Amino acid sequence: MPKKLDWIISGWALLAGFLTLLIVVVTTLNTAAFGADKIARFFDANIAGLAGYEDFVRLAISAAALMFFPYCQRQKGHVAVDLFAEHFSIRTQQILEKIILILTVILALFLAYWMSLGMISAYEDFASSPILGWPNWPFYIPGILSLILWALVAAMQFSEKRTNG
Amino acid sequence: MSGEIIGIFGLGALFVLLALRIPVGLAMVLVGIGGNFALSLALPYLRFEPYLYQFKSLLWSSAANYDLSVVTLFILMGYLATTANLSRDLFQGVNAFAGKYRGGVAMSAIGACAGFGAVCGSSLATASTMGRVALPELRRLNYAPGFATGVLAAGGTLGILIPPSVALVIYAIIVEASILEMFQAAIIPGLIAVLFFIFAIAVIVRIKPSLAPEAQPMAKEERRVAIRRLIPVVVIFGAIIMGLGLGLFTPTPAAGIGVFLILVYGLYLRRFGEGLSLAGIKESLLATAVTSGMIYFILFGAEVLKGFFTRAGLPEALASWAGASSLDPLSIIVVMLIALIILGCFMDSLSMILVVVPFLWPVLVEINGGDYATADTAAFAMDANELKIWFGILSLIVIELGLITPPVGLNVFIISALAGDVKMGDTFKGVIPFFGIEIVRIALILLFPAIALFVPRLLSG
Repeated sequence: MPKKLDWIISGWALLAGFLTLLIVVVTTLNTAAFGADKIARFFDANIAGLAGYEDFVRLAISAAALMFFPYCQRQKGHVAVDLFAEHFSIRTQQILEKIILILTVILALFLAYWMSLGMISAYEDFASSPILGWPNWPFYIPGILSLILWALVAAMQFSEKRTNG
Repeated sequence: MSGEIIGIFGLGALFVLLALRIPVGLAMVLVGIGGNFALSLALPYLRFEPYLYQFKSLLWSSAANYDLSVVTLFILMGYLATTANLSRDLFQGVNAFAGKYRGGVAMSAIGACAGFGAVCGSSLATASTMGRVALPELRRLNYAPGFATGVLAAGGTLGILIPPSVALVIYAIIVEASILEMFQAAIIPGLIAVLFFIFAIAVIVRIKPSLAPEAQPMAKEERRVAIRRLIPVVVIFGAIIMGLGLGLFTPTPAAGIGVFLILVYGLYLRRFGEGLSLAGIKESLLATAVTSGMIYFILFGAEVLKGFFTRAGLPEALASWAGASSLDPLSIIVVMLIALIILGCFMDSLSMILVVVPFLWPVLVEINGGDYATADTAAFAMDANELKIWFGILSLIVIELGLITPPVGLNVFIISALAGDVKMGDTFKGVIPFFGIEIVRIALILLFPAIALFVPRLLSG
């Protein structure tokens, strides 16, 4: 796999990781506010939690979850049942792996195409989060880019196999 | 051709694709889309084009799920705890107390597996992490190799049930149960497993003293350090488990706080040259990306597959078949559990939950008397919500049993591979007593559902 693509995929996954850490920070603050509110009530005071906290988590994880896909493919992390295929000949296993990679490329591009249409629909319908009121469509973009990257990684793995095989 | 027949062909195709080593998520999506195409050919009123339109938002909306964020957070928590070496502190700390008994180090390994499994949520990760930490110590003290690896392989299975567990979250999402109630329900069965395993070790080493050496209590200073290092770990893990158990917070905040506390403690340990470095955090984030990516893809695949089977009418057909059969409800559930044990020998636990549970659940609901059956009228003498919880606990225990059942037994593979010089057969022999205990535990929960339902009933008032 080209080093640049490798670097982009790892960076993309790390970016998703930082989004996850952001969720951690926001969650901790919200829970701390929730706990402080319980104490403050003894003194007839109120401490508000973060408005739209669940909205934020939902939107952030929508981006992060799909941003994990290319790196997962890069690491061949998608789980499969190993029991039977390992009895096949090496040649059969190689052919199967090529077929799996082609299917992965097709599926990732298929999903990217439909998700792009979904983003346009979300934009046209003004779909937004209920409390924060943030539009949904920008949160489709990381997902679409992730699917394209996923297809690219699988395609690269396919070509690597072809060179090696 | 009827929808049900196409559904059955689809199910067959799914198992063929899985046997061909097609990734589980990919196989599910392929069968889901292909099956819907076949349905549209056979039944023209089920048009294919409108079906495709759901892909505009299906992937995004499966990912944009607040409850599901807990999966990524718990996974990150587990990796950070592993990288920060909390597993070692846990093991050494428990060993400071249990090490003075014959077989005490093995008991400590079980205790540490339970504690680490709670925070890590994955049986395989628990087995491999605790294997790295405890196996060298067990071998150094001359525990019988097969006994040592057997203990760790069995101890690793504790991770799937002791809350908070990723598998419990996934199950709850699939059957639309309360994650919190699932966690609460798992507390007593999880504790029973730990106590039974420890008791079994005590009995085994008494019957066969050659398996474990005489106890070698820790030196005073070493013990003091181990206990001191155990305290923060117990506080972090305890805060999460108690907070969840007592309903102080819901799973996502619990996971968020868990990650935060482990990060803070891990960074604090840097002062002593241990804990979490930047490289360690990066490594944990990337490992989280792989595991979460895998889980989210399978979840999406399950969503696509569920859509196909529902349109084909397969769950309803299976449910009415089971309802019309002459088997009594308990026998049907036993058949289901045996099927899960057999499948568990070939498939990983998460895939099993996602592939098999959506089939079994409607059947159980039908047998129980439908969604609105009350405890007085239901076949299992519990409403649908309690049935979800009870069956969830039973099925997860059975699924974890698959991790130590021949011929595959993934935990046995992992621990034997870690040991290097211990044959798989020896590890399987070491696992047998624990396998027997698990069967007893399953029978107890099957016959006395209150074991699982007591805590959720108590806390819901």
